[in-house]
Amino acid sequence: MVGVRRLEILGGVAVAGLLASLTLVLADLGFAPLAALRTLPAANVDVIPATSALFSFTSLGLVFEGIFLTAALLVALASLSRPSDEKGAAVFFGLLLLATLGMTLAAIAADLIFLLLAVEVVGISTYLLVGYPRRDPRGLEAAMKFYIVGALSTALSFFGASLLFGAYGSTNLVVLSQATGTVGYPALALAGYGLLIAGLGFKLTLVPFHAWAVDVYDGAPTDVTAFLAGGSKKVGLVAFFLLFIGPVSLVVVRPLTCVGGVCPTPFDFAPTLQLALGVVAVVTMTVGNVLALLQREMKRMLAYSSISQAGYMLLGIAVGTAPAIAGATFQVLGHVFMKSGAFLVVAAVAGLGVGPLIDDWRGLGQRRPILATAFALMLLSLAGIPLTVGFLSKFVLFSAAVEAQGYFVWLAVAGVLNSALSVFYYARVLKVMYVDPSPEQVPAPPALPLGGIGYARAAAIAIAVVAIVALGVDPQPVLGGLQSAANHFVLTGP
Amino acid sequence: MFPIISFTLATLLVGTLLTFAAGRWARWVALLTSVVFLGEASIMLLGFTGLPQFGPGGPGFALGESHPWISLGWLTINYTVGLDGISLVLVLLTAFLQIATVIYSWEESKRPSAWFGLVLLTCLGCLGVFVALDILLFFLFWEAVLVPMFFLIAHWGGPRRRYAALKFFIYTHVASVVMLVALFAMAFYSGAASFDFPALYAATHGLAATTQVFLALALFFGFGVKFPVVPFHTWLPDAHVEAPTGGSVLLAGLLLKLGGYGLIRWVVELLPQGISLIAPVLYVVAMVSIVWGSVVSLSQRDLKRMVAYSSINHMGIVLLAIAVHSPVGLMAAVLLMFAHGIVSGLLFMVSGSVHHTYGTRDIPSVGGITPRTPMLATMIMVGSLASLGLPALISFPAEFTALLATWDRLAYWVVIPLVLLVVTAAFYLWMMQRLLFGPSKGGPEVVHDLPFYEGAGMAILVALTVLYGILPGLLVNVIVQSPVTGPFP
Repeated sequence: MVGVRRLEILGGVAVAGLLASLTLVLADLGFAPLAALRTLPAANVDVIPATSALFSFTSLGLVFEGIFLTAALLVALASLSRPSDEKGAAVFFGLLLLATLGMTLAAIAADLIFLLLAVEVVGISTYLLVGYPRRDPRGLEAAMKFYIVGALSTALSFFGASLLFGAYGSTNLVVLSQATGTVGYPALALAGYGLLIAGLGFKLTLVPFHAWAVDVYDGAPTDVTAFLAGGSKKVGLVAFFLLFIGPVSLVVVRPLTCVGGVCPTPFDFAPTLQLALGVVAVVTMTVGNVLALLQREMKRMLAYSSISQAGYMLLGIAVGTAPAIAGATFQVLGHVFMKSGAFLVVAAVAGLGVGPLIDDWRGLGQRRPILATAFALMLLSLAGIPLTVGFLSKFVLFSAAVEAQGYFVWLAVAGVLNSALSVFYYARVLKVMYVDPSPEQVPAPPALPLGGIGYARAAAIAIAVVAIVALGVDPQPVLGGLQSAANHFVLTGP
Repeated sequence: MFPIISFTLATLLVGTLLTFAAGRWARWVALLTSVVFLGEASIMLLGFTGLPQFGPGGPGFALGESHPWISLGWLTINYTVGLDGISLVLVLLTAFLQIATVIYSWEESKRPSAWFGLVLLTCLGCLGVFVALDILLFFLFWEAVLVPMFFLIAHWGGPRRRYAALKFFIYTHVASVVMLVALFAMAFYSGAASFDFPALYAATHGLAATTQVFLALALFFGFGVKFPVVPFHTWLPDAHVEAPTGGSVLLAGLLLKLGGYGLIRWVVELLPQGISLIAPVLYVVAMVSIVWGSVVSLSQRDLKRMVAYSSINHMGIVLLAIAVHSPVGLMAAVLLMFAHGIVSGLLFMVSGSVHHTYGTRDIPSVGGITPRTPMLATMIMVGSLASLGLPALISFPAEFTALLATWDRLAYWVVIPLVLLVVTAAFYLWMMQRLLFGPSKGGPEVVHDLPFYEGAGMAILVALTVLYGILPGLLVNVIVQSPVTGPFP
């Protein structure tokens, strides 16, 4: 009995806290009905930070805070419906909130070390989250893998940061973005950026730094996976935004100073980085999609699909224009609802006693029509079928790539061909759910309301579904806001 | 003004959703929806009194509606729909084929609510493609057609349905995403003010010739796969042979028309210079499709496969007429699309009925069916004669005008399609000789003639074949209400 109360009290506190934070973030973003709650004066948002600042408030950073809080909120809400005899509720909710704190700090970073430390906070709390049900050997193995890879990625990132510091004498992001390509040791700086792409690429599951993600997503408790895929991994994307939109789009090539008749060779590596990011984006989406096609387990399939989605988001950074940033951010927002939602459904279905294989979902469309419809909607959205947020976010993202012209048009072509490819593995799940006959023996659902799902989890899934459809039909209120945040971000930079 | 187009889309959507939910009443809901849709299409036809002028030199659209949808500064998208003569005729075709398909498949017993719902959804998608006048809405409906058709083939199809459905989906989906990027490029490279058709029209004519050529080629790839043109046609025979009869009717009657319509609306109208410059490519592709479709038809034993290949032949003539790029040619192309929609729908229905009645579609193994099933035999005859271009049936005025337009532009090259028309006539006549006449063989001794509902579905199409065959002016006067098809002397 004590366990029940602990879970509900702790979870309730977590949900209430996240909801309050989200409200405040929305108020600071200038959401009119909440104007009275505004704590951050508009004049302090979107100003170029001082070169000594550790953090600064940009609209885009606030938007990402909102996205992270939404992801955490969905997962915390759904977790209220977990089996009440489960141990470790305090650990779970505590770590969830700690990770969310790290994510929100990363979103407003103005200094590379601050950013990496915030990412590290997220990392450490998520390693523990993956392994918190201590009895589950698969979870522990996943946590161990996650930890080792995470340590490697941290080492690479900090080494990269130290090289950048060596090249420019500062770790402030504004200094970095203005100095890039102008002074002393460009090769050193390029190596630093390369290491940062690798180190942060692990977080964002970019190919070839993706291999850990599938095992970890698969081994972690599914609610935690929902948080990892929909929330914490996007912290890598925020880091990419802060690091690369500056140098890539704000590059100022200054006259080089010649010393004693020896002039340094001009070395503007912004286009190189941009091309590298573009190639990584295309490789990531392609590898993610192809491997997803081959999967037989639901969680692993969704994990690979998550990798390919990271490729689409990175495409927005490679293009680097304000429209592309808006598109990528919209994709991140949509992904919270699609992917976290999908994993929450997977957790619900696993709770009903259905096995991990895709084939185990046979006939779910007949047995649990509402749950199956919700999952189908999330998959259709991931596949980019019209009238869902996934369609519109890709539509905006790819049209932004074409809008930037040049070779970005080919990135858009690679993106649309990939999304054509991705339809197959999602359609296969639909076929299994709706066309294939139910297995003869169906396990009895646990004793929870709504046929074994629980009110809180059902509410979280319903929120995701409503958001997917609402943003897919009328995106203007949200998308307009994202666009204006992106415009400010490109002008003010980090 | 009453927003009749949006209203029609909405009623069709509601009807579709109700059909999915209606269980054993699905066919009645589907029939009611189809009747309402036909009524709305008739209202559009009656309310269509010519085109308003949209702006300086731009095309006008009747019954147009435009509402802001997405506005991001660099990206402006409105919900814009409207009709001109070309789209109106194809909307009518959609309404006719929808009701004929619903009636023909009245006794569908395998999950009827899903079947009728998917049929209506396919028609809704086609209607949307024909009335949409902005890139997002157009693409949304374009994609919306694929999904129900995939399931119609994959769930109700023949033995190799999985393979056929997947092949259909891969070919058309890849083509459509390439088309989407080309549409984006057209909007952004021309600096159009929005994704609306009129805004594009005002901007794209100023694109450099090379850009127009690249865009026209990319779009031609996107639309050509739907046509289908050789060498991207191989999905079509498989899809048709495996598809259920109703699916084939919609596939040949409507889905193939999306390609032709898209080519006229988004390439011919927007990139006139591009289409003129790539015309030689289109001529070659069209001629090869005409020859290939016809010759391969001649060698088919399977009735349905034969009809499928003859579709490639007919759509080749449509492409030829579009490539000619004259008002007469484009008018003929639209008329021929309508004609082919009706006639191929009829022919796929008779193929399906031959299969139900005699247990096979293999032409040599069935013979002398006229005394056993006179109704079915009559339908086969009408469909075949219409398809081979007998005067007073619907294909004749269309093909005649198409060849006339080809003569104007290509002179003696018209001999190629002309000779192939003879081949087409030959394979239809040979098929009829073997199937309809001669001694009875194959199939059971005593068979029932067409069930009432199958006969009724075909009768609708036969009536249209005769009506518009005798009075093609009813359609032509509508089609010429468009900036590219008329007015001509």
